[in-house]
Amino acid sequence: MTEYTGNPLLWVLLVALVAAAVLVGRQRRAARALRQQVQGLRDHYTELENDYGKSVQAAQERAEDETKTVLKSAMRTLQGLAAEQQLVLSRLQSKYGDSALLQDLLEIDHTNSQFGRRAQSIAVLCDGWLGGRRDTASVYDVVRSAQGRIRHFRRVDILSQVDFGITSRAVEPVALALAELLDNATSYSSPDTVVEINIRTVPKGICVVVDDAGVGMSDEERARADKLLATERASGVAGLGNPPQFGFAVIGLLCERFGFEVSVDSSSPYGGVRAVVLLPHEMLTAMPEKKTPAPAARPAARPVPDGGPEAAPAASRTDDGLPRRRRKRPMAIVPGSSSTPRPAGRSDSEQAQVMGAFQRGTRSGRGAEPENAENADRTSSTSGASSEGHEVS
Amino acid sequence: MTGHDGWAPESPELVRPYVITKGRGLPDEDDLSLITLVTASAEETRRPARLSPEEQSLLDLCSAGYLSVAEIAGHTRFPLGVVRILLASLMEGGHLTTRPPVARARLADKEILEEVLNGLRAKFG
Repeated sequence: MTEYTGNPLLWVLLVALVAAAVLVGRQRRAARALRQQVQGLRDHYTELENDYGKSVQAAQERAEDETKTVLKSAMRTLQGLAAEQQLVLSRLQSKYGDSALLQDLLEIDHTNSQFGRRAQSIAVLCDGWLGGRRDTASVYDVVRSAQGRIRHFRRVDILSQVDFGITSRAVEPVALALAELLDNATSYSSPDTVVEINIRTVPKGICVVVDDAGVGMSDEERARADKLLATERASGVAGLGNPPQFGFAVIGLLCERFGFEVSVDSSSPYGGVRAVVLLPHEMLTAMPEKKTPAPAARPAARPVPDGGPEAAPAASRTDDGLPRRRRKRPMAIVPGSSSTPRPAGRSDSEQAQVMGAFQRGTRSGRGAEPENAENADRTSSTSGASSEGHEVS
Repeated sequence: MTGHDGWAPESPELVRPYVITKGRGLPDEDDLSLITLVTASAEETRRPARLSPEEQSLLDLCSAGYLSVAEIAGHTRFPLGVVRILLASLMEGGHLTTRPPVARARLADKEILEEVLNGLRAKFG
């Protein structure tokens, strides 16, 4: 043993060993401290990142809200002016109805309607004002109203009619959504093709089918449309792209707030896009009473048809025979208040009338050919007006 | 802006006249003047299905007999020009026929009258 103790090599080894142990211990401590420091820093970093993200989001939201508010009030003004101009144009058209000037007045009227619709679309994206309150209107008139709001309205052909009306609350949103669809349909198809509209009764309500002979949509465009129409609602005017694409964003918002459905997931038989608007029963009502002009001159000649409940207020007159002015509410599309359904909109008898008509229609359709859904639709719209309806299948 | 006070201004018509006329131009003044007489075609017994409600009501008005264009316009709420466009398109479709206004009776020639007068004077005068 002693010969080993005398060996300096052993001592050197021992000293080295101790030194190494001390060194390792120190390193371990240092490493632990570093790890703790790193952990602390990392926590701090994530905290900062979260804070940053939150503040960026808050700033973004604030900016978006501000943009929305500004756009909303700006559009409100523009919409008001467009409506005012439309009234002026109506007056001018009656005044100069027998002169060649009328042609130009009709052109201006057309431009003005497009301008009003643009403002309306932006207003919808900004939770703004949808327009003045409308009376109940027939489905056909609502479709024609939509037709008049686009540039190439001459290329739109309405091939069938149904004997149903749309409740006053739904008239404007449905017309606007349809106008956006028709705008897409006419813009993305060649100028010499026709955009066809078919109105059909189906068990769930009424379908307005818009077929174009355009180039169709790419998968990417289809995915964007589906997203905007079904799952993810657009909000504000951010993210509409450049040039901005309003159409589907506006339609998606209107669908959500007013409770109808639009789908563009099938292709039209002419190779373009087929868009289908499904109006549920809650939106439908009996055909509104026709507006009868000059009732004072020929009171007996115009029997009052047994119209819906809307017939009564239209006929209300003062003792002097002047039409009584009704209080009209401006229609706002604030999401919370407007999404509440209004079940008390129709009287019992009218409800029964509507439901009865549907039942008869679907029964006759099923009786004819239960397998063929297309056929059921066709036979259920038996009214003479739609007998020449265009079949596309 | 009006509208905030709850009394919205009278809202414009839902379907604008240029949609009702389907964007067609005014017909020629000679073809369809204010006093042209219009009636539904005799052979047109079955009603075509694809007419707009406005065209249908015009046909209804004209089915009873001849009416002047001005008179028809008076019965509708549309400007006269719009009614003329609609009538022209119905005529094109063969649903309506027109008759030119009754021509004013031609005045007898002054010379003939004088000759007759002279003859009468010569015989009885």
